[in-house]
Amino acid sequence: MIFAGLPLAQLTALFFAVGFGVLVLYILKLRRRVAAVPFSPIWERILRDKEATTLFSKLKRLLSLLLQLALLALLVLALGDPRAAESLLAGRTVVVLVDASASMQSTDVSPNRLAVAKDEARKLVRGLGGADRMLVAQMDAMVTPLGPLTSDTSVLERELDGIHATDTRADFPRALRFATDVLRGYDRGEIIVVSDGALGEASDASGPVHLGSATLSYVKVGKDAKNVGITQFSVRRYPLDKSRYEVMLELTNTGPDVEDVELQLVGDGALVDLTKLRLRPGERLPRFYPQLSGASRTLEATITRTDGTRDDLPADDHAYALLPERRRAKVLVVTEGDTYLDAALLLDGYLDVTDVAPRGYAVAIAKGDWDAVIFDRVTPAEMPKTNSLYLDPRGPGAPVKVDRELKQPGFDKIERRHPAVRFLALDDVNIALGHKLVPEAGDKVLGAADGGASPILVAGARGGHKFVAMGFDVRDSDLPLRVAWPLFVLDCVDWFTNEDAQYLSSLRTGEVWRLPVGASVSQASVKRPDGVMQSVPVHEGRAVLLGEQSGFYDLIIAGGETTTFAANLLDASESSIAPQDQVVVGGKQASAVEGFHAGVRREIWIYLLLAAALLSALEWATYHRRVTV
Amino acid sequence: MGLIDILPWRREKAVAVTRDEDLFDDEFQRKLDYLALVSRRVFAGRLRAERRTKKSGSGVEFADHREYQPGDDFRYLDWNAYQRFDRLLVRLFEEEEDLAIYFILDTSSSMGFGQGEKLRYAKKLCAALAYVGLANLDRVSIVTTSDRVLERMAETRGKARIFKAFRFLSSIEAGGKTDLEDAMKTFVAQHKRRGLAVLVSDLYDPGGFERGINVLRYNKFDPFVVHVVDPAEARPRLHGDLLVYDCETGDEREVTVTAKLLQRFAEAQAHYLEQVERYCSTHQVPYVRASVDVAFDEMILRVFRRGGFLR
Repeated sequence: MIFAGLPLAQLTALFFAVGFGVLVLYILKLRRRVAAVPFSPIWERILRDKEATTLFSKLKRLLSLLLQLALLALLVLALGDPRAAESLLAGRTVVVLVDASASMQSTDVSPNRLAVAKDEARKLVRGLGGADRMLVAQMDAMVTPLGPLTSDTSVLERELDGIHATDTRADFPRALRFATDVLRGYDRGEIIVVSDGALGEASDASGPVHLGSATLSYVKVGKDAKNVGITQFSVRRYPLDKSRYEVMLELTNTGPDVEDVELQLVGDGALVDLTKLRLRPGERLPRFYPQLSGASRTLEATITRTDGTRDDLPADDHAYALLPERRRAKVLVVTEGDTYLDAALLLDGYLDVTDVAPRGYAVAIAKGDWDAVIFDRVTPAEMPKTNSLYLDPRGPGAPVKVDRELKQPGFDKIERRHPAVRFLALDDVNIALGHKLVPEAGDKVLGAADGGASPILVAGARGGHKFVAMGFDVRDSDLPLRVAWPLFVLDCVDWFTNEDAQYLSSLRTGEVWRLPVGASVSQASVKRPDGVMQSVPVHEGRAVLLGEQSGFYDLIIAGGETTTFAANLLDASESSIAPQDQVVVGGKQASAVEGFHAGVRREIWIYLLLAAALLSALEWATYHRRVTV
Repeated sequence: MGLIDILPWRREKAVAVTRDEDLFDDEFQRKLDYLALVSRRVFAGRLRAERRTKKSGSGVEFADHREYQPGDDFRYLDWNAYQRFDRLLVRLFEEEEDLAIYFILDTSSSMGFGQGEKLRYAKKLCAALAYVGLANLDRVSIVTTSDRVLERMAETRGKARIFKAFRFLSSIEAGGKTDLEDAMKTFVAQHKRRGLAVLVSDLYDPGGFERGINVLRYNKFDPFVVHVVDPAEARPRLHGDLLVYDCETGDEREVTVTAKLLQRFAEAQAHYLEQVERYCSTHQVPYVRASVDVAFDEMILRVFRRGGFLR
């Protein structure tokens, strides 16, 4: 205990000086009002009875004096502004990372881990020293500081109230890098992680995280690990029979006990399948449902314990998926006749293909609402206002400039991630003659010859419409003889119609989603699974948002056009909810939290004054009730 | 006691000066004509009046016989007794004479305490009772006392002398200490003729009210106690830390007055009144408590009659 106000010597002198005054006032007799009585012996008689308690009266008087001295002591102490010694230590700078990942929704502690974590963080806030400063950040897929560095505990406690759980995994390295950035330049920096410890390695693409001079402390939250979760869930229609679809999912028992669960598969609210499963501790159980049929658009997988109880983490007991819409794509083929092309298009029964000669193109393009146009050795004067595939384009109407001739070009370089060429074996395609294509800015080179210097397959978009241009005639190559040919054509059509064979039936929470909304769209909003509308920014024709909740989302763009998509946690590491006793960063183990004592920063003088006021009230009450007189 | 506290100007005047006023009206006076004071004992009078005396004389009520002595009036010889006992006996008759009634009015400071209600009430009582006495041809005398005999209205008789009594009473003011014993000793020494001694007092005697009454009893007066009380004195309007002083003796006492203490005081006051009444009844001294909050007419016409003080 130290005195931040008047020094102890002065306080002592003050106490004795004023205390002496109080004593003198007590020694001096109280000047009383004078009143006459007709016959004092009667008074004498009753006062004589009272004198029997003189000793008690004296004690009461002594008590009153002691009360006054206690009152004085409290006031003098208040002038001294006493503080706990810890409160005057050099200030610490503390970054509290509160884990808000999916595993923190576990209910093994009441009401859940996140609430307990917030309580623990609140204790830390209340234990801040007078010169300490703190920043509270929510750690999930992102790290979100909830306010600036401050020593205002009320602000910090309000910030803690704003922390909410998300269905994402915690990006621990990112959070640590953020914390070290905040603490850079401070002598007594401290990072406190309030979490269940399921944080993974403190290392990312930039390498392991170095904490510098900052110390790392860990507050453990959670106790149990009973959980069965859906860790994989994917649905897709068959590329060649879009009336059927298949479902793949994986269940994982991350708990220590054998678990009997019931797996429900619900399509558009109707039960599709119900299976009882038994999972051993740590078992990952994949399930595959082939050849499912139906008009379902949404699918939801749910697991429940057969005994009716819930496991500790309900967040991973559900998974959601959205089937691609079954739609017959209308394809216009402008060709003088190409058997290879027709054969390839025949493979997809959901394509409505119309062949037209080049001279009938103008009429046909004006008549129909085409999803894609394939130009086979034909190049229109201008690009159609729809998606288009150019096979050996020529002339000024081509989306890309056709440059010099290439003899025996090959696919030396392939952009394998693009949906039009993904999983295609084009490396050894033999081409007799081709032309170099000159892509424009923003176009994607899907295949290039001459070691990558001469693009021969380019994809891009013009006026919001996609195109793919192939710089050679397939008849001048052995490509039509390969399996890659029909797949390439169909992949292109699927890409045009957004019916990607690799269609993601659900997005992964914790990632930044870039959802296509069209190049002309500047504003979009999202209706989240919890029903909250959220405005999202649009960048280069894509709405960008960080996925935090699993479930079905509605993406609404200007004009009211709505697109639904699903999002899932599907993270085995988050489903492993066993709390970790230790957190290790850079080989160093996080220590327990020290130096946060509730009440350290409290200004004791306020309480002393309150006590003095209380004593005064007590004295007043007892005096007027004639207890102490 | 602090120096300041003993300064005389710190004390308010505790004793009121009683105002002169008509002691009672004509209507009340007419009612008093029908009353008479009751004496339980028979005293020797001087003049013929309406009271029996021990002296045998020319009254009509037989008293006793005695042996005939030469010179006695033959008319009073009891011939029937001579025939039966063969002795000459003279019949004696009680003489009817006047009665000496002394009104001893306590005029100490306590009687004038506050608004002086007790002294005013006591004066009225004395006046009324004196009128009753005068109307019955008794010899009425009024004496004022404190710790001694202060003033004295000489014995007088006849209704016409009531105005003398009024004047005497009107001139009385409260003051001085109470010492009934000394005062009564002086009184009995000054008044050889025994009679009815009506003590009108609040009996606030530090030395003990019994002593004064006993002096009267022991000197063969027939004491009547009219105990003047003011109920307001049992409920003093006091509160807080006080220095109370006796309005007569000046004795001081520090006291913190609480509701509880006031309750105890009221009980002590009631106990004191009971103590007085019990003493009087034990020693066969007629006692009437004259409370100032009882209407004066009712006190005279009903309370005193009911108490056997008037008939």
